[in-house]
Amino acid sequence: MQKIQDNNQLRSSLKEAKSNGKKRISLHDLANITLFIAVFIGIWQLVYVLHIWPEVSLPSPVKVGESFVDMLENLTLITSIGMTMYRLVIGFGISIVIGVVVGLSMVKFPGFGKTMSSFAVGLQSFPSVAWVPFAILLIGLNDAGILFVVIMSSVFSVIISTYSGIQNISPLYIRAAKNMGAKGISLFRFVMIPASTPSMLVGIKQAWSFAWHALIGAEILIAASIGLGHVLLVGREFQLMDQVIASMITIFAIGLLFDRVLFSKLEERVRERWGLDQGIER
Amino acid sequence: MSSVNSVGEEVARKNEGGTDMGTTVSTSTNRNSEIEMVMLENISKVYYGNKINGNNSKVNSSRNSSTVLLEHIVLDNLNLRITKGEFVTIVGPSGCGKSTLLNILAGIDTSYTGRILIDGAPIEKSPDTDRIIIFQEGALFPWLTVYENIDFGLKIAKISKEKRREIVMHYIDMVQLTCFAHAFVHQLSGGMKQRVAIARALVLNPKILLMDEPFAALDVQTRRMLYDQLVRIHEKTNKTIIFVTHNINEAVALGDRAIVMSAKIAGIKKEFIIDLPRPRQLDHPLINSITSAIIEESKEMYISDSSFTRNNINYRDDRPELELGSLRPQLA
Repeated sequence: MQKIQDNNQLRSSLKEAKSNGKKRISLHDLANITLFIAVFIGIWQLVYVLHIWPEVSLPSPVKVGESFVDMLENLTLITSIGMTMYRLVIGFGISIVIGVVVGLSMVKFPGFGKTMSSFAVGLQSFPSVAWVPFAILLIGLNDAGILFVVIMSSVFSVIISTYSGIQNISPLYIRAAKNMGAKGISLFRFVMIPASTPSMLVGIKQAWSFAWHALIGAEILIAASIGLGHVLLVGREFQLMDQVIASMITIFAIGLLFDRVLFSKLEERVRERWGLDQGIER
Repeated sequence: MSSVNSVGEEVARKNEGGTDMGTTVSTSTNRNSEIEMVMLENISKVYYGNKINGNNSKVNSSRNSSTVLLEHIVLDNLNLRITKGEFVTIVGPSGCGKSTLLNILAGIDTSYTGRILIDGAPIEKSPDTDRIIIFQEGALFPWLTVYENIDFGLKIAKISKEKRREIVMHYIDMVQLTCFAHAFVHQLSGGMKQRVAIARALVLNPKILLMDEPFAALDVQTRRMLYDQLVRIHEKTNKTIIFVTHNINEAVALGDRAIVMSAKIAGIKKEFIIDLPRPRQLDHPLINSITSAIIEESKEMYISDSSFTRNNINYRDDRPELELGSLRPQLA
């Protein structure tokens, strides 16, 4: 028992050392990012001052900042982000569930698997906006229509990565697991899913960006009454360029945040477990 | 420790197939007992290759008299008996069919003819967990820690968490990896990985331990340490072990019986009984002489005879650059 405690202590102190290392590096990264943003705003201000575009078309960074503050104050920012996020979580969630289920059935029924595979690859890059007229006519000009577009745009990535993830599992693992008594559902649950997790994560990341992509587009086209897409629409209607740019920055920031906070962390955890991060020098 | 044994029995009972032979967890250390654990009868396995017509053309299914299917006979009427608690090593050059034999015993390969009995019951009736195979590359699951890897089979068998913990820790201690119970697989050295693989197999209390060149990728010092551990484990658990290797010295040093296989006859060439008590010195004169004897035998296996007769068909090896075992029947 003593030895296990020692081992745990060792692991936690190693982890600390690793994360300290990370902190030091991201201070450096932070400086780089700040510099980059400063230069970007600098160029923007320059373009504004030089009147390359009329003030109405390209407002100054300051104006956009003011617009931000306005939106925060009258709660538009919060409600629109909230609504958009709500649609994203539901749509993306359903997408993952359907995608994994279909992917698993493709493995179970090889005939279905082969045909669905080419079908899915084709539909994966189908432009999300092209789903909109279909959604409007089939479902209607409502939230459900938006969700439909989101799901159709992202589900195929999940299907493909689940299917290929499981297909590409080393047969050695399957042989070993079967030899130890795993079959049917326990084989799926305890071997196939964990073994294909790195692959599935790639697919889920991609599906997320497709979903986000499709969502804003659908919000604009299906004229949602609340949401970031709606804010963009209103901005265009009333020629409020500062509001448009402010919402664009918001959309970009949310995308970035999700990736750094959610997906990168997940990927890191998996890579640490599997030892895939050993090859890279820190 | 007695509680662990009784749980081990429980695992064995859970693993019982349709056989009526009773649990085989016996506390008898009499290795000369006549209980036959494995019986292989007339095992044959053939690979069919492409039609060769000078150029490599595709398989022609028409039974034309001028077309011939190339047969690669992997195993040819192999017969073998192994008693309970025996430590048998199978040695031979690459391509002699020893890994194939092991795969057949493990239930991984089902395309063969012949009869196999495991502990009296036909192999189809005995559950796979009776014969656990340990691969050369370990095949440990990289997404699990050492503890979880060893726990795997028990988790599948739906044994309760407390009982699992007891059994797993017992075997982790047996392979001396207690400090590394919660390490990830990639943090282990090659020797440690194989120890985990051994523990993972043992927790399921199999009747037979099948080992497919498990130490081939390891350095000499680690191997010697593992020989030691394996022999100790064998003493302690009295499992029937079938150990495949291409290292002749290893085969003779470890086994009660060394079975030499040959690709040319696709079967067992000779058996050597190593009647030495354990622990053995690795350079014991008897071991050295048997090793030399086997090497002499092997030299014969590599001299290419230009022809030989089997089953009244004359085989003519007029293409000596072909691998051993691939022969073309002479057309009448």
